[in-house]
Amino acid sequence: MRTLANFYREREPAILGGGFILLLILAWQSVPALVSLPKGISLFFTTPVEVIQTFHQLVVKNQIQSHFYVSAVEFIVGLALAILVGLPLGLVMGRSKTLDAMLDPFVTAFNATPRLIFLPLLILWFGIGIWSKITIVFVGAVFPLLINTYEGVRNVDRVLVNVVRSFGANEWQTMKTVVLPNSVPYIVVGLRLAIGRALLGVVVGEFFAASRGLGYMIANAATNYKVDVVFVGVTIFMALSLILTYFVKKLESRLSRWRPETAKNY
Amino acid sequence: MALRDRYYEHQRPILGTVSVIGFFLLWEWQLTSVVTVDPFFLTQPSKIAAAAKELFLGGAIWQDLAVSSKAFLWGFSAAIIVGIPTGVFMGWRRRAEYTLDPFFTALYASPLVALAPLLIIIFGVGLTGKVVLVFLLAVFPFIFNAFAGVKSTDRLLVNVVRSFGGKEKDIYWKVILPSILPYMVAGARIAIGRGIVGIIVGEFYAASEGIGFAISRFGDTYRLPEMFATILVLMILAVVFTEGLRKLENVLAPWKIGQEAR
Repeated sequence: MRTLANFYREREPAILGGGFILLLILAWQSVPALVSLPKGISLFFTTPVEVIQTFHQLVVKNQIQSHFYVSAVEFIVGLALAILVGLPLGLVMGRSKTLDAMLDPFVTAFNATPRLIFLPLLILWFGIGIWSKITIVFVGAVFPLLINTYEGVRNVDRVLVNVVRSFGANEWQTMKTVVLPNSVPYIVVGLRLAIGRALLGVVVGEFFAASRGLGYMIANAATNYKVDVVFVGVTIFMALSLILTYFVKKLESRLSRWRPETAKNY
Repeated sequence: MALRDRYYEHQRPILGTVSVIGFFLLWEWQLTSVVTVDPFFLTQPSKIAAAAKELFLGGAIWQDLAVSSKAFLWGFSAAIIVGIPTGVFMGWRRRAEYTLDPFFTALYASPLVALAPLLIIIFGVGLTGKVVLVFLLAVFPFIFNAFAGVKSTDRLLVNVVRSFGGKEKDIYWKVILPSILPYMVAGARIAIGRGIVGIIVGEFYAASEGIGFAISRFGDTYRLPEMFATILVLMILAVVFTEGLRKLENVLAPWKIGQEAR
């Protein structure tokens, strides 16, 4: 008995947290067994077991793989472009006062605005193919990356910069030896936020203009009242964002172990 | 010399204004004289201004803004009413934190907009679907910021209230509430952005009125000046609210606070 109590006490957070989620899933599963749902509701109702079965069916029948593939390509290409643009621009803005002052109004305005409002415009420009989704992922993800890189550069230790300068380092060498290493933890925070925005872009972009992709699958299933398929899609997105966030957070805590203050989040 | 000093003193705002004006001038000028522009593809600031004037004077945009704000306000208020007590409870009761934190973190980290089509088929095209969507997106910043605010409450103050015979109620009202206020402002700032996402996604997806619907309809009918004007209005609103709250945050708590997307 003692050992059981100890076991519980040591793992209380995990037991309570995991138990609660499990309980919710069980409760959800047992709703149809406990109450008979009116027809209006049962149309929109599904259970976890059904969702898993549907997922299995979709995988077996090879109906989900192509959707997944398209979404993955949009996500990866859009995020990669955002990194390629956001990092250098953030570095330069952090180092140059003039450029910072000139670009700041635009960055602030676009960062405050949910970039999803540009979706109809991007569809107009890039059509309903893969590129409109890549650009919406890009504009969603680029600002958190840019701003966090900028913050990292701005928070660099002046003393260190002065030291390498005194020893004759030029701008490039300063960047490489002091500024960039110092910004890495900030960049990782930016990356974590960017992943969230990128997934949002994929989902919403595919809702409105796509003939493929997981977002399209969800929207299409919803219009056909296939609620279980909707939940398969939603669950995949949830799982993806949790897994990716988990890894980036791991990276984050590894990189900022020595750093007391937290990086700035936007 | 004096002029140069003046310039260095106000370098940032001057450069910022110059670049914004320059951007619009270049846009206007470039498109009229350098490249011939396809009106189905791009428009120019003078036409956008004319369209904006038309939209505002004709009253069309007020109608759309009213419809969207209504859904936004309902969802946002519900998020405040549910989010803050939940967060405070989680922050104050250790077991509640253990129980609820993983579940809420998972929901906060995942793109809940993916539920939009389902919510709309369940609740219909009207107000309710959008309200639920805004609520779902906006509630978590409030929960987690209230939570963080309670966690950062000074234990000493709590002990003082206890020592002088204060009840649980007194601790909530006299210590916790004032200390979470700046966190609430930070939460509201994040929640506004997410709430706007909820509104526009709901309206892009299925609506017959509202600001998101207006943008997508103007896009569908290639009325670019009107579309840009509406987008700009929404951008200005977002900037005003977000930056306003950021300023308020700095006034209430000059140190850095706030829990962002987890």
